[in-house]
Amino acid sequence: MFNFDWLSGVSQETAKMIFLSLYGVIGLLVLLLPTDYVYEGIAKEDRHWWNNLKLWSIAVLSILASIYYHF
Amino acid sequence: MLAGIDYFIVIAYIIGMLLLGLYFKKFVNSSEDYFLGGKSLPFWAIGMSIVVSDIGALDFVGVSGQAYRYGISVGNFDWVGSVPAMLLAAFIFIPYFWRGGMYTIPEYLGRRYNQKVRTIASVTWILFFALDLGVLFWASAVLLNVLMGWPIWISIISTAGVVGLYTYFGGITAVIMTDVVQFVIMFIGGFALVFLSLYEVGGWDNMVDKIATMGPEYRNHFDIIQPQDTKSPFPWTGILFGLTFVMANAYMIGNQSIVQRCLTAKNEWHAKASMIFGSALKMFIPILVLFPGLMAVVVHPGLADGDQALPMMIKSILPPGLVGLMFAAFFAGLMSSVDSLLNSTATLFTKDIYEPFIKKGADDKHYLKVGQITTLVLLVIGVATSPISSDFPGIYVAIQTFMSYFQGPIFAILLLGIFWKRTTEWGGLSALVIGIGFAIYLNVFKEQFFTIEDPFLYISWWSFLLGAIINVTVSLLTKKHTDEQLQGLVFSSKILVKNKKV
Repeated sequence: MFNFDWLSGVSQETAKMIFLSLYGVIGLLVLLLPTDYVYEGIAKEDRHWWNNLKLWSIAVLSILASIYYHF
Repeated sequence: MLAGIDYFIVIAYIIGMLLLGLYFKKFVNSSEDYFLGGKSLPFWAIGMSIVVSDIGALDFVGVSGQAYRYGISVGNFDWVGSVPAMLLAAFIFIPYFWRGGMYTIPEYLGRRYNQKVRTIASVTWILFFALDLGVLFWASAVLLNVLMGWPIWISIISTAGVVGLYTYFGGITAVIMTDVVQFVIMFIGGFALVFLSLYEVGGWDNMVDKIATMGPEYRNHFDIIQPQDTKSPFPWTGILFGLTFVMANAYMIGNQSIVQRCLTAKNEWHAKASMIFGSALKMFIPILVLFPGLMAVVVHPGLADGDQALPMMIKSILPPGLVGLMFAAFFAGLMSSVDSLLNSTATLFTKDIYEPFIKKGADDKHYLKVGQITTLVLLVIGVATSPISSDFPGIYVAIQTFMSYFQGPIFAILLLGIFWKRTTEWGGLSALVIGIGFAIYLNVFKEQFFTIEDPFLYISWWSFLLGAIINVTVSLLTKKHTDEQLQGLVFSSKILVKNKKV
């Protein structure tokens, strides 16, 4: 049990899909955050698309997913 | 091995660090300036500082060695082992800590659970950090001696002198701003080695083709996901459950030296952005520390000790000048690790031990002075105890491994503490004590329980799980906290929906 033997039947390809799905779920959760929340700390008149931390997060997750897809 | 130009680069780097660090002395007028940089720092500096303080001189050699032996799967630690945890920290935990005006993670645990939990967590971190300091000094100095022929005591004294001076006077602002320069040096030195190594092996595709023909032991060298029954320490089950779900989160959310940096941000946006920016930079780290190890498989095949991969690549590939830059990068790794340990430990001691137990209600200048003196005392202890490591060669690995066992239970109480109102002080305390005890038990009897050679990922997962179960069970059996006690300490969807202050 401690060695996760019960998951020995899962192939490397399936395991890779699990990781990619995890990044998808995290990305979805990030997108669900209210926009006001991710801008908190910046005055309303100074908010621009490049300050949107959702976009930053999605960019980082996309690069991460492409690394795992490639390797 | 060092030429004249290399010495010039290294000495110029050390003097430059000292002058830069001392420049920030003028910004330190209160304990908040010293421990939290007056809450004035920008996201990019904090993000760089988080990344560089996570990579020490020993990691350069160790990770390259593991890449030589096990291949690209070592990169999991900086990819899946960092990014998701840093996003969770950025959007959920850091805003709570930042808005709450906290200085330390144990301070949050004290408010959420009780003073005992705070003290246990704080004392554990202080002991580990203090022990780690001496060991880090010695292990890094030995490494620099082997790599470059630099005398051991010159490494220790020069690092202690420079880092000690700027950390003593400049506090965390000096730590973070010198980290920025150390980050740049580390990236320039590291990428120079990677590009020249790639040229040497005839490009990426050529390297992959050559390694593929070297035998069955290299069959999985370019698979980032390793099978569950692999003999390497990185089966995908361990990476998912132990690393992604527990250790990464515990490190990014429960490690004082990481979180304290985010608390120096000038506003909440900068605090969140620092973590996300750091996660983007983190993805480059495997290129710096892992790729040279992979390329060494082609350039220097058949090394008995994988940890020789990086030194061999430096010797055979880098010209004079770049060797000095690489040496400066190693120094940067050592300095950034030492200054983090010093400042974080001084903060933990001053805020969690000295202020509540030794002298309550003193004026702010007094606590500033205590923080500075603690920094100095730690430095002296670190230098004085560093030779002990020579008598116990496995002590560095032992301390790092033991620290990893502490992380499962601490993350269990942090996670439940912030997401579940019903968690009680007795639930948190028992989870911490029993969880750590269980991790130690699994480690002592690991041959009986585990089939892989170093099961630290599995141990962190199971100790986290037991800690969570104990926390839930004991909490349900004990008296719950009132809403007033939990004000601003437990996650509420209101923070997202209405963006109310917690």
